[in-house]
Amino acid sequence: MELSIFIQLVVLGLVRGSMYALMGVGLSLIFGIMEIVNFAHGELFMIGCYLMYFVAAMLGLPFPLGILASGIGLLIVGVILEKGLISTLRKKAGREWLMDSFVLTIGLMVIFQNLALIIFGGVQRGIPNLVFGRIVLGDVVFIYDHMVILGFALLTVGLLWYFIKYTSMGKAIRATSQHSEAAQTLGIDINQMYAIAFGIGAALAGIAGALLITLFPANPNAGMGPVLKSFVVVILGGLGNIKGATAAGILVGLLEAFALFFLAGGWQNVIVFSIVIAVLIFKPAGLFARAGERA
Amino acid sequence: MTLEVNNVTSGYVKEVSILQDVSVVAKDGALTAIIGPNGAGKSTLLKTIYGYLRPTRGDVLHHGQSIKGLKPDQMLGQGIAHLIQGHSVFPAMTVEENLELGGWIIKHDRTALNGALDEVYQNYPLLKHRRKIMAGALSGGEQRTLEIARLTMTQPRTILIDEPSVGLMPKLVDTVYEEIVKLRDLGYTILIVDQKVHKAVDVADYIYVLRLGQNSHHGPKNEFVDTIEDIIREWI
Repeated sequence: MELSIFIQLVVLGLVRGSMYALMGVGLSLIFGIMEIVNFAHGELFMIGCYLMYFVAAMLGLPFPLGILASGIGLLIVGVILEKGLISTLRKKAGREWLMDSFVLTIGLMVIFQNLALIIFGGVQRGIPNLVFGRIVLGDVVFIYDHMVILGFALLTVGLLWYFIKYTSMGKAIRATSQHSEAAQTLGIDINQMYAIAFGIGAALAGIAGALLITLFPANPNAGMGPVLKSFVVVILGGLGNIKGATAAGILVGLLEAFALFFLAGGWQNVIVFSIVIAVLIFKPAGLFARAGERA
Repeated sequence: MTLEVNNVTSGYVKEVSILQDVSVVAKDGALTAIIGPNGAGKSTLLKTIYGYLRPTRGDVLHHGQSIKGLKPDQMLGQGIAHLIQGHSVFPAMTVEENLELGGWIIKHDRTALNGALDEVYQNYPLLKHRRKIMAGALSGGEQRTLEIARLTMTQPRTILIDEPSVGLMPKLVDTVYEEIVKLRDLGYTILIVDQKVHKAVDVADYIYVLRLGQNSHHGPKNEFVDTIEDIIREWI
């Protein structure tokens, strides 16, 4: 293989991978702390698409404001969903929680999709590009939009990483995920931590939706493809493992880029899902799991 | 009088009271043990004091102030810490992060937090040695030491301890009890519940016996030395 093609595929893979990582990290964070499998994660992505379209296309504001609006908007949506529905149900359900959370998030998925259909119709609302143009270095093409996606995605994952690892709030969130009862006795308001964690997970999905508006136009079903991939990422990375989800997201992106180039379309899914099945059989804790570690 | 439980009735569901009219006092700077057979309501009593359960009758006072109705995460702010049953370290965080989280309620006062950390390291040099290690990689005994040290970060006045010897091998039980006695010697008021009756009675200053959710006997340890075997035999 020529070096230039290799570099080109790596760049494309990183772009895809960075967005899978964003989605997967959000899903993984929510699962790691609250043990909710959030089937509505794709719809949070979809709301992010619409917010981006509203801010950048309809209001005509600079696109970074659209990304910011999607992040903040979904943070608020996430906190409201958690405080209003999820925590209410969790307190009632007790041990039955896992099953109830399935039903709840699947219900949310259906409601959000249909609300979007009623409000916005089935029309695709996209933005052709955020930053027009490309730069060619040697034989490798760098599309500016791709660089924007990659840059903002890495920035977001980096900020999240810093927040979780070094701030006292981030530490309290990790503590809650590792031992909620002990966290509570130390004075940590665990219900607040759940709401913040869900809000952050939602914000990551929203930012992913905003970033990908040029590739996935806003429409009621926009989240269905990305959510499937984010489940893949979470399984490969290990449920609740943020580092693992980041790495797995990039890995899936790279695999897909190479598979798309060398094989017929559609094979990328066969390869990725074969790996998922293999991981589930041989290494069910995830590719990047270390014993006893989470987050 | 540090902690007073006055005529408390409490339980998990409204219709069934596990505790009936129970009164317990944990005196300042003393180690008070609550013993009793299985189902006597010992753990229920701790849960009621710490706000997991709300008493249907009676009151709980800490230094004269009612703490009834406060939530578990508000208790440390009132100066009451709780060592829960089983392992409670955050395994994927370092020893130092675990201790910092012990100071969560004083996190905005960086100087106080660092001071507390220094003091803990002084009292538990082993933890200073291991401060960069993941808590999950510590031995079982070291984890208990960390759990106990973590409770002292905010210098609470009273510490509730629930079944500290559960799941530990006999040798470690002695170590844990040494740590608990050390806490008492540092001036903390301690209220302890344990199935290992002899061990608890051994270190206690004052003893309460619960039976079927009610007060049975209580008194300073020396009054119990002769009768404890008879009391335990009664349970069987």
